[in-house]
Amino acid sequence: MIELVNVTKSYNGIIKAVDQMNLTVPKGEIFGFLGPNGAGKTTTIKMITGITRPDHGEITINGKNIRSEALEAKRQFGYVPDSPDLFLRLKGLEYVSFMADIYEVPQEVRGKRILQLADRFDMKNALGDPIQSYSHGMRQKIMIMGALIHQPEVWILDEPLTGLDPKSSFTLKEMMREHADSGRSVFFSTHVLEVAEKLCDRVGIINKGKILFSGTFAELREHFQSDVSLESLFLELTKHE
Amino acid sequence: MNKVLILTKMMMKNAEPAWRVEKGSGWKTALLLIVIALGVLPMIGSAVLVISELYDGLALIGQQGAILGFGVAMTSLVIFLFGILYVLSVFYYSKDVEHLLPMPLAPGHILGAKFTLALVYEYYTAVVFLGPLFITFGVKSGAGIMYYLLAILVFLVVPVLPLVLAALVVMLFMRFTNVKKYKERFRIIGGLIGIGIVVGFQALFQRQSSGSEFGMEQIQQMLLTQENGLLGFVTQLFPGSNLAALALIDSGTWGSLGYLFAFLFVAITGIAAFLYAGAYLYFSGVMGMSESVAKRKEIVDTAFAKLVQKRPAMLAYALKEWRMLWRTPAFLMNCTLSSILIPILMLIPLLSRRDSGEMISFIQTVMQKGSVAGMSIAIAFAAFLIMGAMNSTSVTAISREGQGFFTNKLLPMPYRDILLAKLFPGLVLSAVSMLLLLAEAVWFLQLSPGFIILAIVSGIPGLIFINMVGILVDLQLPKLRWSSEQEAIKQNLNPLFPLVLGLMAGGLVVLASFSLGTSMLGTALGIIVLFTLINIFLYRLVVTKGPGWLEQIEG
Repeated sequence: MIELVNVTKSYNGIIKAVDQMNLTVPKGEIFGFLGPNGAGKTTTIKMITGITRPDHGEITINGKNIRSEALEAKRQFGYVPDSPDLFLRLKGLEYVSFMADIYEVPQEVRGKRILQLADRFDMKNALGDPIQSYSHGMRQKIMIMGALIHQPEVWILDEPLTGLDPKSSFTLKEMMREHADSGRSVFFSTHVLEVAEKLCDRVGIINKGKILFSGTFAELREHFQSDVSLESLFLELTKHE
Repeated sequence: MNKVLILTKMMMKNAEPAWRVEKGSGWKTALLLIVIALGVLPMIGSAVLVISELYDGLALIGQQGAILGFGVAMTSLVIFLFGILYVLSVFYYSKDVEHLLPMPLAPGHILGAKFTLALVYEYYTAVVFLGPLFITFGVKSGAGIMYYLLAILVFLVVPVLPLVLAALVVMLFMRFTNVKKYKERFRIIGGLIGIGIVVGFQALFQRQSSGSEFGMEQIQQMLLTQENGLLGFVTQLFPGSNLAALALIDSGTWGSLGYLFAFLFVAITGIAAFLYAGAYLYFSGVMGMSESVAKRKEIVDTAFAKLVQKRPAMLAYALKEWRMLWRTPAFLMNCTLSSILIPILMLIPLLSRRDSGEMISFIQTVMQKGSVAGMSIAIAFAAFLIMGAMNSTSVTAISREGQGFFTNKLLPMPYRDILLAKLFPGLVLSAVSMLLLLAEAVWFLQLSPGFIILAIVSGIPGLIFINMVGILVDLQLPKLRWSSEQEAIKQNLNPLFPLVLGLMAGGLVVLASFSLGTSMLGTALGIIVLFTLINIFLYRLVVTKGPGWLEQIEG
């Protein structure tokens, strides 16, 4: 569960990237975070994960405050950043082991978990190679493996499907569903409306730092009393102020 | 030409100046300026002194112009050496290369823009050398405004030829090492050979200049006759330097303008040659820069089990840092290998002197006298400290992360532990330098076991001190926006701080032991107590204030 209460972040003290945001991602749900470029999606995700500090407001992950109980809060989630070009000089397996060490994954289970993840993402043959030699999609997959190695309660994924091949994309979506169905939460940002429509239990639409809508698709249609496609609704919502 | 201008403008805007600090922190900028001044001013000051003394001596026989020729030639050599680094990082390892290659640009366009960018970097270097030279010469000779105008022109043109030469060397090298599988290995070996050549020169210079008193008169004699091999070689290598000097000597006359035009002509010819060669060499050297070797084979069970072995978080973090240091060529050359190479390279000037045997036995006799035994510990301490300060590992521990810095904030690991883990590689590497240097000293000077133990025990607090200073500096002024790994270290002014501080602290310790006349044991104890106290303070700073500073850094 993720909770944001009155969260505000401005750059230079003038432009509000995120403005008085209130948002709850309950357990057992896949929550899709939608919005045009520069709407404040990545800033929000950076605040939730503790990369940037909000100017005002509180953020909790499974009840742990990301500022006052930072370490506990950070153990609750696994995060996949939007750019996977990290730790390029490490081998894939070294990176995943590094993450396992930092998150204190017990010796007995880590080998098995790594192999399971590698199997699902078809990465077994690449684990011994440096991440530098990976394609964009493979880098994305090794980042996902590193984020999930400690079996976090909450998944936070920034554009996780970009660059994945159809099979890996399908696998990840399947895993997200399994994770939510087991009573835990998935928070992910995307630009692909079809994916959001098919996968998410609820969506939040953000523009200019404000949540314009948060709820299910049925509620969205009800709200606008319209049967048009999600794409048309999204474009309509984010067109003006 | 237009495209070259557009590209140059784009690259200039994109390039981060080395002294960039975030807005609203005026004191950091001030501090940086002070450290630069502390590092550069003594150098400039002594240069001015030497130049004016040489001028007076040579003016007696009307040969003062030789100073200009010599100064320009030596500056050219320095610019050439820096140029090799700049060309590597700007032409090849810069991230924008992969974006430029798909554009409909001729090699000449990219090369023209990149050359201009590297040239701008070189002007920063050149001003430190040519500034004192031209101004002192101008003041001494009572030159008029024409001289200074010409001097500015000459200053702008001097770096061109050495940079062309550096670019040609690097382009040839990169072209013929662009061999798929062993590319990085080849290039590292090439770098080592390069260092070897530089050291060879230095040794040659030492050998020729040693053996007799090396005073002003010798330098004057050498300048006049050019009998020194190195000087002769440098002047031949940069044939323009004499033209530059001649253009300035009789400034204002038609003759001097003629020399200036000749100098300009040589520079333009150089650029033309560079562009011509670049058209053949550049693309075939730069393509596939970011390719990496992959086996795509499943890891065997035993290796797998070893790699997934559980480690404490701090150790895992330190190990990650260690691996990155060894596997990234720019970090390998500047941090890891340099800690091994510098102590070895320091030997060469000593060994290449003709009178090295006498020197060693002289040091041995002096050291056995009780009165200076304490000072020898202080000198050993200062040497270890400065050696530690010359290592850029801790002082770039945060800068090296670049755009990936944010990952530190995600990890469920106290910032304190991250900082301490980051100190680990620097400490190990400076300890390696210390032990190597000590081993050399033991080999040559037959040191007593007591001395060795005291030197090590008092050296360790010094290493801890200089590494903590490094990480504190990097916490304040991290350079995270770089476009090549080389830039994170070489175009980063942070290493200056520990260097200046190390020189000062080392100097003070030697001075104190000299004036107090303490015994060997007394000196060692004094150093240990003093630096342990300082270290406790710095450690408190790292673990109490450091985490807050780390959190404030936004990549």
